[in-house]
Amino acid sequence: MLHATGLTKRYGSTTALAGLDLTVGPGEIVGLIGHNGAGKTTFVEITAGLTRPDAGTVEIAGIDAVRHPAAARRHLGLAPQHLALYPSASVRQNLSVFGGLAGLRRRALRAAIDEVTTATELTAVLDRPVGLLSGGQQRRTQTATALLHRPAVLLLDEPTVGADPQTRQAMLAVVRQRADAGVAVCYTTHYLPELDELGATLAVLRAGRVIARGTRDELLTGLPGELLLGYADGTERRISSTDPRAALAAAVTDPARTAGLSTVDIRRPSLDDLYHALSREAHHVAA
Amino acid sequence: MSLPDRTYRVGVLLRHNLVLVARDPGHLIAYLVMPMVLMAVQAPLYQRALRGVAGTTQVVSGMLVMFSLLALSIVGNAVLAERTWRTWDRLRATPAGAGELMLGKAAAVFAVLLLQQLVLLGFGAGVLRLRLGPQPALLAVPVLCWGAALLAGGAALAVVVRGHGQLSAACDVGGLLLAGLGGALAPLSAMPGWARAVAPVSPGYWAMGGLHAALAGDVAGTVRAAAVLLALALAAGTVVAVRMRRGWTRTALL
Repeated sequence: MLHATGLTKRYGSTTALAGLDLTVGPGEIVGLIGHNGAGKTTFVEITAGLTRPDAGTVEIAGIDAVRHPAAARRHLGLAPQHLALYPSASVRQNLSVFGGLAGLRRRALRAAIDEVTTATELTAVLDRPVGLLSGGQQRRTQTATALLHRPAVLLLDEPTVGADPQTRQAMLAVVRQRADAGVAVCYTTHYLPELDELGATLAVLRAGRVIARGTRDELLTGLPGELLLGYADGTERRISSTDPRAALAAAVTDPARTAGLSTVDIRRPSLDDLYHALSREAHHVAA
Repeated sequence: MSLPDRTYRVGVLLRHNLVLVARDPGHLIAYLVMPMVLMAVQAPLYQRALRGVAGTTQVVSGMLVMFSLLALSIVGNAVLAERTWRTWDRLRATPAGAGELMLGKAAAVFAVLLLQQLVLLGFGAGVLRLRLGPQPALLAVPVLCWGAALLAGGAALAVVVRGHGQLSAACDVGGLLLAGLGGALAPLSAMPGWARAVAPVSPGYWAMGGLHAALAGDVAGTVRAAAVLLALALAAGTVVAVRMRRGWTRTALL
């Protein structure tokens, strides 16, 4: 569905993408994560046909998006990182223009607007100017513009930035539904628990390349978890270990550690830990 | 993609842009009412100074040219808003081609510019008894060509300025300067020698010339002025097309 090969892009002396390879299959949600400047937005811009790569190819639903951007974009739904809506126009008008440009006409357009505004809980504000909506409602409107024409590929660039928990949950549910219907979803975010909720596989970007790709469990293997030992006097001891269960077994056989022990907690490594590990690695490289 | 698809998308954009104009009509109303008031108040003065018909022609065409130059801000704001709202790049990410996007945008703004000129000419003819000459249809030539030059000029300003403040200053100062130099505020014959010498550099000069020639039934003069205005429109339009095709994804502007 979405297939990028060897994407390279330079801005002056800065390399934004350095041979990025990424495939997102039908029904798959890929969480694209990485530090600021890792190349996420450049990848989104190239895939959406907004920027030409210096080298490499992107295919959307089998169509070369670099050579035939207009044809490829018919199969793409984009929700950019920054709000890109007409504030003086109503939600309906915003959806009408983006739906119309995607090829929806009259009855099909009205049906699509009904469907996405119901899914994103926007029906009550359909005829209000977007500029008067809350930040969360504006975010949902933006996401709705990407969903209208039922594209084969969804490209969502930090779609929940600034969204409240209710908005976030509504949007995640819609994304999940679309993936279940066979849509390939590429989802960039800095809010990693969202990717857990979506059941996304992960692609970690650094310096314009995918440096790690896999399921959550695959990527977290080898990262240290934590054994938290709480004592009756209120003190706490943390033991970092790639195998916290083994660390616990060792701890309970050590009388020095069990004296006064009142609580035991094992914390498995999270995506945040993965992110922080990558940050430390990046700092080492920079140093 | 097929021609009906492209036509449909241009229609979607045209309708959408007309809605945007209709939701924020302040500038258009101002640039319709102010020239009509000034025409009505100044007509007797011009008619006395330039003897009747010539005075009416001068005041109507002068106010039309001056306030259509000030209406560059309508064009500019329509284009600049697409940058500040980031909607231009969002539109570029749709299946619509760059040409369709520009045509849909331009057609709506062009319609507004034509409406302004037609209303002012109608006011001149209906209220001030402006004589539309032996071939009234000839007026369509300078009106259309002046509209095209304004459209391209306003859009060119909008793609190079860094914000609404710069655009507003450029439109106000530039509009008055070009209108004054072009003979819209005072007849060329009454202007100082140096101003008459540099007047042809102003597009307003050619708009005034085209309107005067059309009102007099002078086909050659009308065509000559129209050709200059179209050349200006083409030059500015090329700048706009090149810049808007690239979008503003990674620009430091704004």
